[in-house]
Amino acid sequence: MRIIGIKKEYLLPILIFGFLPFILLLFPFININESSEHLLGFQFLNKIMQEISDKGLSMSYLIIVAIMLIIPSIILVASIISFLRPGKKILYFMIGMYSLEVFGFVVSLLSFKATVDAAKFFEVGFLVKYLSMGYWLPFLLVPIGLILTMKSVKVSPGYIVLTVMAAIWLFPTTWLIISSLRSEGGYYIGYLIPKKFTFNNYIDIWTDTSHWQFARWFRNTTIVAVCNMIISTLLVLATSYVMSRIRFKARGKLMSFFLIVGMFPGFMSMIAVYYILKVFGLNNSLAALVIIYSSGAGLGYYVAKGFFDTISKTLDEAAYIDGATKWQVFIKIIMPLSKPIIVFTILGAFMAPWGDFMMPRIILGTNIDNYTVSVGLYSMLVKEEINGAWKMFCAGAVCIAIPISVIFLYLQKFYVDGLSGSVKG
Amino acid sequence: MKKTQLKQVAVNNNQIKYTLANGGIFVKLSLVFMGISNIKYGQLIKGLGFLFWELAFIYYMISPGASSLHNLITLGTTQQSMVKDDTGMFVVMQGDNSMRLLLGGVATLLIIVIFVFVWVSSIKSGLIVTNLHKNNKRIPTIIDDIESLFDKNIHKFLLFVPIVGLIALTILPLVYMILMAFTNYDANHQPPGKLFDWVGLDNFRKLLTSTDTLGKTFWPVLEWTIIWAIIATLSCYFGGILLAVLISSKKIRFKKMWRTIFVLSMAIPGFIGLLLLRQMLTSNGIVNILLQNMGFISGPLPFWTDATWAKVSILIANFWIGIPVTMLLTSGILVNIPADLYESARIDGATPVKIFLKITFPYIFFITTPTLITSFIGNINNFNVIYFLTAGAPLNLHYFQGAGSTDILITWLYKLTMQNGAFCYASTIGIVVFLISATFSLITFRRSGAFKNEEGFQL
Repeated sequence: MRIIGIKKEYLLPILIFGFLPFILLLFPFININESSEHLLGFQFLNKIMQEISDKGLSMSYLIIVAIMLIIPSIILVASIISFLRPGKKILYFMIGMYSLEVFGFVVSLLSFKATVDAAKFFEVGFLVKYLSMGYWLPFLLVPIGLILTMKSVKVSPGYIVLTVMAAIWLFPTTWLIISSLRSEGGYYIGYLIPKKFTFNNYIDIWTDTSHWQFARWFRNTTIVAVCNMIISTLLVLATSYVMSRIRFKARGKLMSFFLIVGMFPGFMSMIAVYYILKVFGLNNSLAALVIIYSSGAGLGYYVAKGFFDTISKTLDEAAYIDGATKWQVFIKIIMPLSKPIIVFTILGAFMAPWGDFMMPRIILGTNIDNYTVSVGLYSMLVKEEINGAWKMFCAGAVCIAIPISVIFLYLQKFYVDGLSGSVKG
Repeated sequence: MKKTQLKQVAVNNNQIKYTLANGGIFVKLSLVFMGISNIKYGQLIKGLGFLFWELAFIYYMISPGASSLHNLITLGTTQQSMVKDDTGMFVVMQGDNSMRLLLGGVATLLIIVIFVFVWVSSIKSGLIVTNLHKNNKRIPTIIDDIESLFDKNIHKFLLFVPIVGLIALTILPLVYMILMAFTNYDANHQPPGKLFDWVGLDNFRKLLTSTDTLGKTFWPVLEWTIIWAIIATLSCYFGGILLAVLISSKKIRFKKMWRTIFVLSMAIPGFIGLLLLRQMLTSNGIVNILLQNMGFISGPLPFWTDATWAKVSILIANFWIGIPVTMLLTSGILVNIPADLYESARIDGATPVKIFLKITFPYIFFITTPTLITSFIGNINNFNVIYFLTAGAPLNLHYFQGAGSTDILITWLYKLTMQNGAFCYASTIGIVVFLISATFSLITFRRSGAFKNEEGFQL
């Protein structure tokens, strides 16, 4: 009998893998002491069972029993059923169970030390190296069982890779959010999951101005961002339009010139900029930041120019025949057709000051009142302050990261255009 | 009608020479008195404008300009010193500030360049108006000129502010810093207390010959910069491509969700992400704590404190930022690979690995070569990753004071200016970095047809 959507050749290996965990219970599971005296899998399980009957069930004991006994039993039963009467549902169920088993193994690694140390099975403190084949072989075999089951119903094993990677990629941000919600302790705590959750860090970072002026940094950055947004957008659009549409004598030279200037390391000139602004009495001020950001805006014309290039030139020519000036073409024809790129330029210019650190750091110097968010947050992490400031730093970072991330996700497509060096035209 | 009237006679350099030689007295006068032809033929405001420019320039050159040019050559002669005043007390006698003098000199040079530019255009303008007068054409009034700024000369109008900004805050500082590479402005020659002076190519010699501590720092730092840039670029490039291929494969569902998860690490502001990674891996960081809690290790791992560990940690932490970038970039390209290529490959019995190696990868590689080189240059200049993760630490005692084992050129440049006050060496390194970046950029842009064949690509 052939069942659509199931690869029958995998069913026998799946059945064999169903039995394996029980055979492996006969392997040495854990070394009790340095002279490699060991407990076999079922002996260890037995001890855990005794502990449970003595002290009652706790979460960490439950995890060990689950990964060693309960889930393997369910998988065994399911693999026998699927071998005798193959069906998609039972195999999907097994995928779920296997995933749970893998997850259980990972969690068990986290809780093993605490469990074993608490149970006082042996005198020396537990280290992972004491775990023996009886633990590691199932750890390796479970993913293989999972892959076999997935393959039997043609589910891509790529999900495993993606899930693992996603977990790694999400870990830092998760840690940030968890820390921002933690109620107790500072930076130096010895665990991941908070004992008590609170929103107070968020309230503190905005209202408690005794130590950190987050609200003020936020205000400063907003001012810079809005001014930069207006000025830079105008300049970028103007430059891009000229470079895309107007053919004048110096155009080629000017473009190469912009390219070369853009190649010098940005803050090679920062120090000099600082002194130039000092001549005008603008150093340490927010206006200086706006001026610097806007003055360099012209160099970043590539993306918008690439967009303008895709707008058909016949539109311009038709307008010229009707007697329009170039200014009118720019304002009345190109601009209305370029809403996406205008949005991109506006939001990009708005975002830039929130993430930039070096420029405000050099320009603002020691003028704490004018700190922007990035410089301020950075100052919270110096060695002397980090323990007290860590949770508030996390709360502040979350407050900044959320809006900026949303804008970024919205702008993804344009970002790709910019990355691919969009010198389309 | 108006347009044809205003059509001005084109002027090229030969014509200028010819007309100057054979032109009337006013043409010749306009070499000295800018705008005089314009005034004669009715363009009063424009002519006066030119004349005003000239007077302003002359005034500037008489009052501080000439002396600042002289100072640019000497960079100051009197050093700040203590002298006895009338009452016998020692007081500070203000000396010359070499830094200000250099900056002033560069500014004057720029002003001269701008003046020459205006001067040439005033001559051209005078010739044009003379020619128009000769041919009995209408002379454009000031209103016509202003109107032309919105039409024929719109580039002058629209580019005016960007270019002024560029000159004042990018070109001027850049020239200033480049010149500094040829002085001895280091910790021992700090203005205003001390003077510094021109030293020619000494800094380059010190940096490039390995006898000096500077040289002993420069070469290892350069080596690590290149190693870092190559590994960081390639690992993130291939990692990102593989991830993108995996996500876009037909069997994977919820593509958008997966992509968003990874893109999130690009979306949060860079400094927050990097600071998080740094804090995660400190000796009290969450990674060390978890590993100890799990019983993997009995003491913290030296992620940032051991030179080799720190280098590897930086490269791995960079995955978190770099892989999603390539992933996002290649996802778009993958969609555009013609489906029939895959179809025929599958019919011919190609394995997925073979399809990737023979179709997907060459296709992506072809399109992303410029990006690959751009990101290589980006990594050579990747200040943020190094600065936020290690700030160059751990310190290296064999290096120039303050430089650390994980410093790349650009972070060392920063340290030289902010900590050592050795501006001359910093500028020298800046020039070296520029030369490296420029070389690679040139290769890219030479090769990419998009740049060469600009007009052809447009619709």
